[in-house]
Order: sequence, then structure tokens, then C-alpha cells
Amino acid sequence: MKDFDARWQRLVAAARQAPAAEDVAAPYGFATRIAARALGEPERPALLAVFGRLSIRALWVAGLLMLVSMAANYLAFAGNDDDDQSLIDPVSEVLASS
Amino acid sequence: MAEETFDLAACLERVRQRDQAAARELVDHLYPLVIRIVRSHLPRRVAEEDLAQEIFLKMFTRLDQYKGAVAFTHWVSRIAVTTCIDQLRAQKRRPEFRWADLSEKEAEVLDSVLTSETEVAANDALAARELVYKLLGQLKPEDRLVLQLLDLEQHSVAEISAMTGWNPSLVKVRAFRARGKLKKLFEELQRKERS
Repeated sequence: MKDFDARWQRLVAAARQAPAAEDVAAPYGFATRIAARALGEPERPALLAVFGRLSIRALWVAGLLMLVSMAANYLAFAGNDDDDQSLIDPVSEVLASS
Repeated sequence: MAEETFDLAACLERVRQRDQAAARELVDHLYPLVIRIVRSHLPRRVAEEDLAQEIFLKMFTRLDQYKGAVAFTHWVSRIAVTTCIDQLRAQKRRPEFRWADLSEKEAEVLDSVLTSETEVAANDALAARELVYKLLGQLKPEDRLVLQLLDLEQHSVAEISAMTGWNPSLVKVRAFRARGKLKKLFEELQRKERS
């Protein structure tokens, strides 16, 4: 490994001597283009965020509807306890009359 | 724009208020930093300007996440480095390294490094740099990055840790493993040369 390290270090030392291509200024219009793309459009909530928010609202509404319908049905059943006796059984009526 | 005259904190505040002029100033100020990283880690067939644009757009998108825990330039460096690594990963297969792919000068430099103990000639520096990039191109993006920053650009472990977000131990371990892989590549090249 030592032999390799020495070779590698010799190679990178030589590579470091190469002049760097040092034109590091932004090309003309680059900053304007980036700024326009990054800040030009008005901030809009992401589609997924909107979907998420609407889904949570829909969940609340669905839960509320479920509770209301359960309560309504429960009341309907509970209120009909006495009516069972007043129900006429047509089969027994026919049998009784024959 | 000179470093001492640029008020980064004030500029960031104006950018957060969606001031386009401030955004332009910020891009101009950070461009040299970003383009150096891009040029050092540019994947094949990717234009440096396209990659720089992607990095700046990410920076603006994530600006609200910047809380000032690290220097802003380090934060931007991390975005640049991870974007380059993602691009390098997307390339997946690296072509096999062959002597035939080297230019005459590069082959001479490699031969000299493999067979002799003498320093590489100063006028072969450009060929040496191309050769180093070709050799590093055979490694995984993270391995390539760590050796490039450590050996070629001579950053300290702490600096690399700040630039990449990897902890110092991880930087050292990655460098050790990357050198191991590079050593195997050297041995393979020596075998090919002899045959």
C-alpha cells in the first residue's frame, strides 16, 4: 500500500500543477434567469399539500356524517322497540283465519 | 463582487422577501463557489451550466430550511456536492478503464508513475490531471469525491466534513477504502501493461 500511496501522491502532485480553467464568473444572464425562475412565480402551495389539506377536511366531514347517521339509525331502532308488538304478521293472520 | 462588501445576511433577508435583485446578487456571489464544485465533480455528458442551474434552484427552494447552524457557503456546498453525486450515481455504469482510452501523454505519465520513482515532469501536469480524473472516474461517486477533495484539492478532513455533511470518521474510512480500490485499479493496469 505504501508503494501505491507514493505513486498516487506523485501523480496528484503533478496534477495539482496544472493550471485551473478559472473563468468563474457567472455567464451573462445566468443570475437573472435563475432569479426569475426561483422567485418569478407567485408562491403556490404544492399540489400534494392542497390534496392533503382537502383530504383531512373530507375525513372530518365523513366522520361527522357517519356519527350522525349512526345516531339517527340508533334512535330509529330504539324508538321502534314497542312497535314490534303492533306489527301484524300476515302469515299468522292467514293461518288464524283458515 | 468582493467578499468584504457583500452583506450575505441582508441579502438573504431580501431574498426571503422575494426580492429578485437580491436573488441575482446572491447567485453572482455564490457562482464561483458552485462552479468550482461542479467542474471538479462534473459527470460525463452533463453541461456545467445546467448542473449549476439545478443547484441554485434547489438552493432557493430550500432556503426556508436554512437555519444558520452552519455557514451559508457550507450549506450551499452540501447542496452542490449532493447534486453532483446524484448525477454521478444516475450514470450507473462506468466504462472499463483501458490503456487504449488514454492519450499518448496520459499513457506516458501513467507508465512513468507505475514504473519509475521519478517525479512527473512539470510540462505533463495537464495530462496528469486528466489521468487523475479518469482514474477517479472509475470509483463510486462518494469515493471519487473524497479522494478528489482530500488528495487533489488538499482540503482537510474537517473541511470535507463541513462540505459534505459526513462525519470526520466517515471521511477517513471512505478515503481509506477508496485508496484501496484505486490500488487494485493500479495493479490491474500494471498487469495489463505487462501483458
